[in-house]
Amino acid sequence: MDEVPSPSPTLSPLQDPDYAVGLALVRRARRIRFVETVKVGIVWIILVALLTAGLLQLRFDARYLFQHADFVLRGVTTTIGVSLISILFASVLALFGALGRLSRNPIAQGISGFYISVIRGTPLLIQIYFIYLGLPQLGQQLEEIGRPDLARLFTLSEIQAGVLALSLNYGAYMTEIFRAGLQSVGHGQYEAAAALGMTRWQMLRRIVLPQAIRVIIPDIGNQFIAMQKDSALVSVMGIWEITYRANRLARKDAKFIEMLLVAAALYWILTIVSSWLQSRLEKRMAHAYER
Amino acid sequence: MRRLSPVLLVLMAVLLVTACRPPAPPPQDKLAGVLARGTLIVSTDPAYPPQSQLVEGAQRAANTKCASGQHTANELEGFDIEVAKEIARRLGVEVCFVTPSWDLIVAGSWADRWDISIGSMTITPARMEKLYFSQPYYTTPAAFFVHKDNTTFRNPADLSGKRIGFGTGTTYEYYLEGVLEIPGETFEVVVKDTVLKPYETDLFALQDLALGDGVRLDAVLTAEPTGAEAIKDGLPIKQLGDPVFFEYLAAAVDKASSKDPLPLIKRVSEIIQQMHADGTLGKLSQQFYGLDLTSAAAEFDLGALKQW
Repeated sequence: MDEVPSPSPTLSPLQDPDYAVGLALVRRARRIRFVETVKVGIVWIILVALLTAGLLQLRFDARYLFQHADFVLRGVTTTIGVSLISILFASVLALFGALGRLSRNPIAQGISGFYISVIRGTPLLIQIYFIYLGLPQLGQQLEEIGRPDLARLFTLSEIQAGVLALSLNYGAYMTEIFRAGLQSVGHGQYEAAAALGMTRWQMLRRIVLPQAIRVIIPDIGNQFIAMQKDSALVSVMGIWEITYRANRLARKDAKFIEMLLVAAALYWILTIVSSWLQSRLEKRMAHAYER
Repeated sequence: MRRLSPVLLVLMAVLLVTACRPPAPPPQDKLAGVLARGTLIVSTDPAYPPQSQLVEGAQRAANTKCASGQHTANELEGFDIEVAKEIARRLGVEVCFVTPSWDLIVAGSWADRWDISIGSMTITPARMEKLYFSQPYYTTPAAFFVHKDNTTFRNPADLSGKRIGFGTGTTYEYYLEGVLEIPGETFEVVVKDTVLKPYETDLFALQDLALGDGVRLDAVLTAEPTGAEAIKDGLPIKQLGDPVFFEYLAAAVDKASSKDPLPLIKRVSEIIQQMHADGTLGKLSQQFYGLDLTSAAAEFDLGALKQW
């Protein structure tokens, strides 16, 4: 198996021995890849079976689980919606955060450094509480100095508060991703753009970002996958997403394990789908660089 | 334009927003606001059956005035929900529910996100600092339970010096320690010098009591409905005499709300008194708890709280 098969004239349509060797090599590589995939698949099947066997040891009512999964399923759109909007805002924040970090302007550097430090230094749950409970109180101070119109902007609905908290939080972590992406673009590119007389914005928009984005996109996908699970925290404000629905239904019928299983399964499926989309996107973005 | 830094842009935007002041809305109290809007926004955490729980498979009501983040009456059920629906009906408005977690409701400073909490909230001195309470609509009576076979205890006073179980951190513990304060109520602690037996939850105490008369415990102090539920589940225990004190459960409004909340809470108190008088609350209590938990609440003197 290991030795490369010698060229055989009957196999070669063009009567070219090198071509036949090439074809054989490609076929061999494919076969090896296929065998590897099958092996990994078998390991997965064994692990899934073990996990299932473990879960079946838990005391739960499978009939209840299937009959009531539908109620939790209706929270999926909310979970995806909140996560999608938040990842968009977070990306914008992260871009500015990264520009701030890389900038030589002390104000921009200071603001972005402070932002990252505060947000990464505190738990997301506490940030949610501050935005939901604390911001309106700031607004009330404004109202007392005679600006009720501004005060209203500080009282966010639960969805707005959730999106703001998730965006701010992920924006801070993703700043590092964007910084690495921007720095991955070679110095020569900047110099060439400068030589063409581009302004700094033009340079960023036309030269740097299009190259950096290829490095950044896979990591954004990764953050998006993480955010789908962190969005469960917004349930404390009473948003009826997956975790909220599962928890409150469990409370109603005292069926915690059943509902936790449903919620966990839904998150896992979401993650599998998102990872698949992420890998497709990555492949697409890599086309231009394939050899 | 090249010199215009983003910081300057933000500053200019802030100045622009600050420069244009729309006229201030006319001052209006909370009750007038509710009546004008046509909806009463009630907070409830559907984590506490049978007071408040979700209705599975409920569709949002058509032609509702409730805003998109709010839930219509048919999406929830329970004792609190029925009380809220009836209060809104008597106010002549539609009821809409929001479902923040319980911590956020008792924290106060609701920022006008909802009008009122109708969520079986016990009136406590700490909560009174942030919230105004209505006339209570029912109570949680605290009662002693003893083993079914016991014949020596006739009334709670006989339990002095005995071993009494309770859940830690509950009002029952404070009562036994003689430090319980209930706003608007004075009561005498009739049980003295007891041997305190704290448990993780009241239910574990009841199970230990069920082992036999005096085996581990002589009595358990817990909520009357909790004990009644345990008896229904087959535990060999019985209630000893009348409840020894009541916790009063009421609706509440936020003191820090931007519009005066007093007219609303006073009007709701009137409605709750009517619902006591015409038997609506008693009937609901029977329906959800199998007991009438409302009579002590009807006699509660709201004025004694000196809230306004």
